[in-house]
Amino acid sequence: MEDMMKDRVEQLVDYIMKKCLWQFHSRSWDREKQNEGILTKTMQILCEEPVKKETPTDKCYWVDAVYLADAFKSRYSWMATLDKEEIKLLMQELKDRIDYLTIKGSLNAELTDPHY
Amino acid sequence: MQCEVKNKERVGVINPILTCQPCGAQYASIGIKECIGIVHGGQGCVMFVRLLFSQHFKESFELASSSLHEDGAVFGATHRVEEAVDVLLMRYPHVKVIPIISTCSTEVIGDDIDGVVLKLNSGLLKEKYAGREVHLIPIHSPSFKGSMVSGYDVAVKDIVSHFAKKDKPNGKINLFTGWVNPGDVTALKHLLTEIQVDATVLFEIESFDSPLMPDGNSVSYGNTTIEDLTETADALGTIALNRYEGGQAAKYLENEFDIPTIIGPTPIGIRNTDIFLQNVKKITGKPIPASLVRERGIALDALTDLTHMFFADKKVAIYGNADLVIGLAEFCLDLEMKPVLLLLGDDNTSYPNDPRIKALQENVSFEMEVIMNADLWELENRIKNEGLELDLILGHSKGRFISIDYNIPMVRVGFPTYDRAGLYRHPVVGYAGATWLGEEIANTLFTDMEYKKNKEWVLNVW
Amino acid sequence: MPYHKFKCSECIPEREKHAVVKGPGEDITSALPLGYLNTIPGSISERGCAYCGAKHVIGTPMKDVIHMSHGPVGCTYDTWQTKRYISDNDNFQLKYTYATDMKEKHIIFGAEKLLKQNIIEAFKAFPSIKRMTLYQTCASALIGDDINAIAAEVMEEMPEVDIFVCNSPGFGGPSQSGGHHKINIAWINQKVGNVEPKITSDYVINYVGEYNIQGDQEVMVDYFKKMGIQVLSTFTGNGSYDDLRSMHRAHLNVLECARSAEYICNELKVRYGTPRLDIDGFGFEPMSASLRKVGLFFGIEDRAQAIIDEETAKWKPELEWYKERLKGKKVCLWPGGSKLWHWAHVIHDEMGLEVVSVYTKFGHQGDMEKGISRCEEGTLAIDDPNELEGLEAMEMLKPDIIFTGKRPGEVAKKIRVPYLNAHAYHNGPWKGYEGWVRFARDIYNAIYSPIHQLSLVDISKEEIPTETKFLTQKMISDMNLSEEVTSSKDLREYTGKYDIISELRGKTYPDFPAQKKLSAV
Repeated sequence: MEDMMKDRVEQLVDYIMKKCLWQFHSRSWDREKQNEGILTKTMQILCEEPVKKETPTDKCYWVDAVYLADAFKSRYSWMATLDKEEIKLLMQELKDRIDYLTIKGSLNAELTDPHY
Repeated sequence: MQCEVKNKERVGVINPILTCQPCGAQYASIGIKECIGIVHGGQGCVMFVRLLFSQHFKESFELASSSLHEDGAVFGATHRVEEAVDVLLMRYPHVKVIPIISTCSTEVIGDDIDGVVLKLNSGLLKEKYAGREVHLIPIHSPSFKGSMVSGYDVAVKDIVSHFAKKDKPNGKINLFTGWVNPGDVTALKHLLTEIQVDATVLFEIESFDSPLMPDGNSVSYGNTTIEDLTETADALGTIALNRYEGGQAAKYLENEFDIPTIIGPTPIGIRNTDIFLQNVKKITGKPIPASLVRERGIALDALTDLTHMFFADKKVAIYGNADLVIGLAEFCLDLEMKPVLLLLGDDNTSYPNDPRIKALQENVSFEMEVIMNADLWELENRIKNEGLELDLILGHSKGRFISIDYNIPMVRVGFPTYDRAGLYRHPVVGYAGATWLGEEIANTLFTDMEYKKNKEWVLNVW
Repeated sequence: MPYHKFKCSECIPEREKHAVVKGPGEDITSALPLGYLNTIPGSISERGCAYCGAKHVIGTPMKDVIHMSHGPVGCTYDTWQTKRYISDNDNFQLKYTYATDMKEKHIIFGAEKLLKQNIIEAFKAFPSIKRMTLYQTCASALIGDDINAIAAEVMEEMPEVDIFVCNSPGFGGPSQSGGHHKINIAWINQKVGNVEPKITSDYVINYVGEYNIQGDQEVMVDYFKKMGIQVLSTFTGNGSYDDLRSMHRAHLNVLECARSAEYICNELKVRYGTPRLDIDGFGFEPMSASLRKVGLFFGIEDRAQAIIDEETAKWKPELEWYKERLKGKKVCLWPGGSKLWHWAHVIHDEMGLEVVSVYTKFGHQGDMEKGISRCEEGTLAIDDPNELEGLEAMEMLKPDIIFTGKRPGEVAKKIRVPYLNAHAYHNGPWKGYEGWVRFARDIYNAIYSPIHQLSLVDISKEEIPTETKFLTQKMISDMNLSEEVTSSKDLREYTGKYDIISELRGKTYPDFPAQKKLSAV
């Protein structure tokens, strides 16, 4: 079960790392916000929960989230078999992994530069 | 009616004709075999010059940078030269000659490249590279002085004076070609072969036009060796074709080693080529052979077909390196054309005293302007705003938009000529160069007549 | 860390951490080279300077501006006519360049007076141009001329002109990237917010990090206009100085080359709250995703979809024709910065190419994070490569083609590797759907060049086939293809024209009258 989860997370990670750019802002504080904003909204869309998109920033996150949710649904047929709790769990794992790859485990020495 | 010689009035440069000194020093550097120059300055000073060479020759040449950064700009960066020399020597085991070329930044901060060379000679080279022949040659070429032309001149002199050493007479002449193309060197060597004169050609750059070989290991480099440079002190005589590009080195050899020296003329056109051969004869005693009489005849035959029919009274503007511009202007006059505007791209104060310019002033009977320290705006502004009408432009590719925007036919000549294929392969010097230039000019005018439908029918019966 | 050790660089051990191979199971937390560090002197790196990064890369594509450098003539000469960033005003910015021509006396006594004279002269020479960018160089930085003060003085005396100053001397930073940074920050600090634009649409964007190489910007703006979007400014290709002063009024910053222009997007977000949307204009899928996202943001995804459907239907059969013939060909993707990640995955996915190596001349670790993430296993990633490493890599990897700069392209030519110009392109534009087919076509023509084939033959050693008097690209490329592919009616070669940009200029667009702001979805 854990293996299957891990495998599924890796499939999603692979998609994001190959196809997306939003996770690669140049500073860690931006990466935190991007990952949080977009992946949370993606989870909400996948779980058919309401999504905040009133501010320009939220709307921009939402745009990437819509795209990501669509891609997940169309590419990974197993997505449709999950219930909301499973999606939340999966998306949390995904976020942890993306956070690790792009922030916590990142070797990019410029992430902590205090200026743009 | 007169020839007016004057300076550009504006202080600034709009569209430069020439670039700065380090480029010239780098052009000299690539002419030497087993040599990689290190440019002491910011990385752009090398990267763009390499790009420029590759645009012109469609080849890549090796030049290194000391990669000056902020810390070096503040605290001095001679240690970066030391490191660059070491890195270069470690990774390029064939390299024997390293010109160290200064730039504006490293001259402003006062980096002592002569001192570094002394230090390296007694330190690194003795300790780490004992037994390896390495020549470090400091070349001062701050960008805020002169131009690429003087940078070339300074570098040739510094390189020659580093190596030249009297031994026994070698029976050769030294031929300083100036800033030319591989095709020019081929043409010059051909003339010398016909007249049976052995020459040390500075620089042997025919190999800049390098092949694409099946083994895939061909690179472009110059072929002038350390021996060639050393032997310059043993020559029978020196001919420097260009006053401002290699002239200093020729004078150095004359002063230092009493080598009979003739500077000029730039052998563009029949007359200047004749004089060049006469000079060779004067130094070597070798007669001008019948084969060259015939070659000259072929050139004259070709030009006779063109001059009074197509060239007479055509107004020409010429820009570029001074020696080239003057040589081309002289040739244009022989071709019955009117070089009405000469643009010399730098501020060398000796231009007004150049006897060739004086001769123009004394003899030209139409309105002619010679602008010193000129830029390309001097040309464009006259066309755009002052009613200058031209039939032809002679110059390098950086002026291409003037030709394009004002519909003036242009023959690319000089450096760089990246917007035309293979021009580096064609000579402008010697009889071959005279023929090529004359015919290239004619064909350019013909194409223009056809494109503009300007008496294009004339060519029906030519 | 799976570092790759070049034989030629064993003697400079610092280099070891600048190259990695992405092995099985590796990701960017285990395989990432160092980046954006000072170059080792004498290593013959391909890097330029911070001045060119500011002036040549980012400043000069601005089209209605006098671009003047305060220094000796060389910096200006070098950064003139070596790019293909065109503009719809007859390429003013390509044609004219200005140097204050600093000489020895100015080095000693200062050159501020010279600078002022220059500015006045230049405006006089071009009376219709009222905008200027001024660039510091190594020399003017070191002598300490106060360029800002002179610019302010002139603007005071000539109220009709506006001058931007960029203090980015060549020595400022490890590479041209230092200059990208400085000019981004200088522009937002000095100029953004200065001009109030006329807003003509409900949907307003800045298109950022786009330099109109061979018309890329015009292709993209065409799509945006078809969607009824107002492109307030482009930073900076084909961009207008005054438009760029009004960047603060856009609703969205659409960012293409994050390497050179993310700084201004980040600052616009902090200062004006304008969100940053990173896009890819290269490749069908990324292009479609980009248009769809911009459409979604404004609630006009139907307009985006219409373009995507039309363009895909038109050009996909042509892309597929090339893909069949490019499958499995090995590429060294060796650009300056952003293209290593813009192209790495999509030339693999959409053209079937195998990216065996990526490098970046001036990129940062962030670019390598993106690039390495997008590469397949086994790719060699090199930061700040030098001449010998490039040769060694090509010897080892035996690529079928290399995408790099003009001069390194000449090095590749000699070892018989065809090259395409990654910076200026061969026959671009390469952005957009048709552009992407043009890129595929250029790759195809380079790899299957009959002349390239001949360069592999040694007539002194090999039997020369007497039957073959000519070959075509197609004869070579289709030799081992199945009948099904070669006779397919669904695939076709590129059908576009040589110049596809001129006709975009002066084109009319559907009228989408501005309404009250629509909410998205």
